[in-house]
Amino acid sequence: MAEDVIESNESEGLFNDFIENQLEDLVEHVVNEGDLDRLGDAGSDIVIEMDDIVPPTFVYDDEGAGAGGRGRGPGREKDRLRFSLPYERFMELVARKLGLPNLTKTGQGRIKELSYTFRTFGPVGVILDKRRTFRRALRSSIGLGVYDPAAGRFEVQFRRRDRRYRVPQRVERPRFKAVVFYMGDISYSTWGERLEMEKRLVGFIHHWLDFNYGAGNVDHRFFVHDVEAYEVDPDAFYRVSTAGGTRAAPVFELVGQVAVNEYDVGSTNFYAFYFGDGELFEDDASHIVGVLEDTLKPLFNRVGLVEVKPSRFSYLNREVEKAFPADPVIRLAQIKDKKQTVATIQALFGEAPHA
Amino acid sequence: MRSVRTDPLLSRLVKRVLEIARDLGRTVPEIRFFLLDGLEFAALLEKNVYPASPLNLWEGKRMAHRRHRIETGEETTLYYEVVQTGDPAYAYLNSANSPVIQASVMAHVVGHCEFSLLNVLRDAEPDRTERVLHLVRKAELARQQMGQKDYVEFWNACESATSLAAPRSQYNLDRTVETESRPSPGMATEETSSRRRPILPVFDTLTELLHPAEEPPFEREIRVRRRQQALGRRGYVLRAPCQDVLGFLRLYAPLSPAERRVLDYLYETRAPQEFVMRTQIMNEGWAMYWEKQIMLELFRERMIPGVIEYARVFSGVCAPRPYFQRNPYHVGYNLWCRIEEDLRHGRLTLEYQEETDLERREAWDRPVPVDPIEAMGRIVRTTTDAEFLRRYLTKEAVEALHLNRLPRPLAERMGIRPADAHRADDRWVWLEPEAVRQEMLRFYVHFHRPRIYVVDTEFRDGGLLLYHRDDGRTLRQDWIRPTLRNLNRIWKGPVALVTRSSLHAYAGGRYVQEEVEAVEFEEVRERMLRGEKALAA
Repeated sequence: MAEDVIESNESEGLFNDFIENQLEDLVEHVVNEGDLDRLGDAGSDIVIEMDDIVPPTFVYDDEGAGAGGRGRGPGREKDRLRFSLPYERFMELVARKLGLPNLTKTGQGRIKELSYTFRTFGPVGVILDKRRTFRRALRSSIGLGVYDPAAGRFEVQFRRRDRRYRVPQRVERPRFKAVVFYMGDISYSTWGERLEMEKRLVGFIHHWLDFNYGAGNVDHRFFVHDVEAYEVDPDAFYRVSTAGGTRAAPVFELVGQVAVNEYDVGSTNFYAFYFGDGELFEDDASHIVGVLEDTLKPLFNRVGLVEVKPSRFSYLNREVEKAFPADPVIRLAQIKDKKQTVATIQALFGEAPHA
Repeated sequence: MRSVRTDPLLSRLVKRVLEIARDLGRTVPEIRFFLLDGLEFAALLEKNVYPASPLNLWEGKRMAHRRHRIETGEETTLYYEVVQTGDPAYAYLNSANSPVIQASVMAHVVGHCEFSLLNVLRDAEPDRTERVLHLVRKAELARQQMGQKDYVEFWNACESATSLAAPRSQYNLDRTVETESRPSPGMATEETSSRRRPILPVFDTLTELLHPAEEPPFEREIRVRRRQQALGRRGYVLRAPCQDVLGFLRLYAPLSPAERRVLDYLYETRAPQEFVMRTQIMNEGWAMYWEKQIMLELFRERMIPGVIEYARVFSGVCAPRPYFQRNPYHVGYNLWCRIEEDLRHGRLTLEYQEETDLERREAWDRPVPVDPIEAMGRIVRTTTDAEFLRRYLTKEAVEALHLNRLPRPLAERMGIRPADAHRADDRWVWLEPEAVRQEMLRFYVHFHRPRIYVVDTEFRDGGLLLYHRDDGRTLRQDWIRPTLRNLNRIWKGPVALVTRSSLHAYAGGRYVQEEVEAVEFEEVRERMLRGEKALAA
């Protein structure tokens, strides 16, 4: 008893498993309703709140709900549990819950990330693998005849050569590079709920790509258009607006040019997402289809066109769908309400649709 | 976790503390001391002060919460002592404490162990910790037999019943349930003996008219036969309301062997908490009293330095608090000191109580030929907190221990105006001491917990009927249904609860609430003692 350690690790593990199950149920709610803008820098923890769990008992009406506390980093307010979740873990949960596959990565960049894992075993080392050592010792002992239950011999000899140590192995992981172009239509009234939905989607895409490629490996570039296209900084992307006519094709052309001229197409993963109301001039949609066909589709991993609160005059997606039905690269979505955020994300990043 | 024997200084201290305790005439069982680090201490507390526990969600939740609080600095790991009484007793010391604090903890533990051994409720079963460790293994085996999902579900259901353990209630199993091995439970025996009629010399019509039998012999015989039939069929008969609901379920619910092991563990670990509730003030006071005596002796011998540090900790532990934040160390220690003082001056006598002259009372010093320490030991042997406070927490003691004194800002926050108070100054507000005394005594009626009793086990086709004894406070309504659902999982049949004029029933996944006629507890008790149903179906 003197060497024993008193701990509750197993029970804590059970509790953490319980919380993870609860979290998966919560993820959809967080993506739809949570404050994605404030996810913070990738790598920071995400604070999630949920109802406390307390075994029900017969108590007086004026008593509190009892004790609480939660998870990896739990805190407690009355009847609520607050706990922080590592950013990566949260994104993994999002991917699992929303059924998002890992993004395809192309371009084996010359820069490699190095790490060491203890996956191989050798006869010398520091970390003894007890299971393997015992298995080898048992095998040797059987071979030597010192362990023979039928003859009443139960000795297991541990020889130096039976020892197996965990040996560090150098692992090289290529660093992938990605660039994502966000395109926005500033001619329509982007404010209020419409702006909030757009921000929510852009925020999620931002984090999802950062999570997949590593925060430092993704360029996020913002473009807007009315009848012409411009590159803007992230804040201006949501702020600038004009009144009057709109042509979206120039922004697709500009993005195509930037991609070809400023990035190494052989080692970069390209993503582009367009947000607008879909109300365009008559020949604009067919022009966009042409740009998509000729420039973007062969080059880009994913191009998403999202009609935000579309009207009956919105026909961009209709026209594009005719040209690219169930396309694995060109993805189309409509969002009318923030509750459709998850469905929109699934349309943009989910498994390829079947024709 | 390591034995204290691995530390030479602490080992010497343990030896000396026990020697001094024996020299002071203390009855000390075998005590095994262990050293723990901060997180081990936290884990031990979550395991109800046993070194191991079966896998369960709630311990995990509390421990995760506590670990987070410790890691973020919201909670200190400076727990002073934890002891599991029994024979042997297991005491756990915090390795972060200084030697003088370790010595004080050892001395404190001696007081607890003696109290548990001597007190009328006696909480020092042989090999208690060993038995619980055995039950932990059984519960782990049960987990393998039941499968993780069923096991966790069942454990969670049992958590709803753990607050319903009352092995020391006057309505405990021994006194309310008749079995083949216990044919006359205490409650029923008392009832029949109090009703025993005098033997009448003549049996005639006039006698029967003058002294009518409360129950005709024929009906009594039918009742006895029915009870015997029930006893034969189920193995038990509920003779009176049973407050030990958890104990009842553990023995009489139709559980699988694996489920019973889980319930055995929960009952064995939760049941002793009632002893703590019923004796906390006396117990902590007794431990503080003897801790101080032993420590003074250690300081006198210069066995350890640090008298200032000890004085600081002692005064912090025994700091006065208002009655609703009752500090058992402060109340208990000071009451024991007052009792000793009164005994030394002969003030706990009828003569002193009947003295009406104030001056003579104040100057009273007529020692009686009784050893005060021995007299205090007799109090330990015969009383619990309720009686202890009733006898010795006088109005003067309430004032002297500042139990009725509140800081003025706190009083204002609580809505107590100085005009409503007993008296007030710029800093403090004093409440009426007699009212405070009565309120402190009232705690021992219900321990701030609803009083729930099993009153019928064949309610509406084999249902378990629970009765909530009305204290003037309503039960939390939205928790009744999930609690009944959990009890239904244990009882495996319909479960219902009567609270005031509401009947809440859960059966076959359905929950219903209906109005019934409200019945007083005394009426329920009478009906059951007469062999009738507690509540008409």
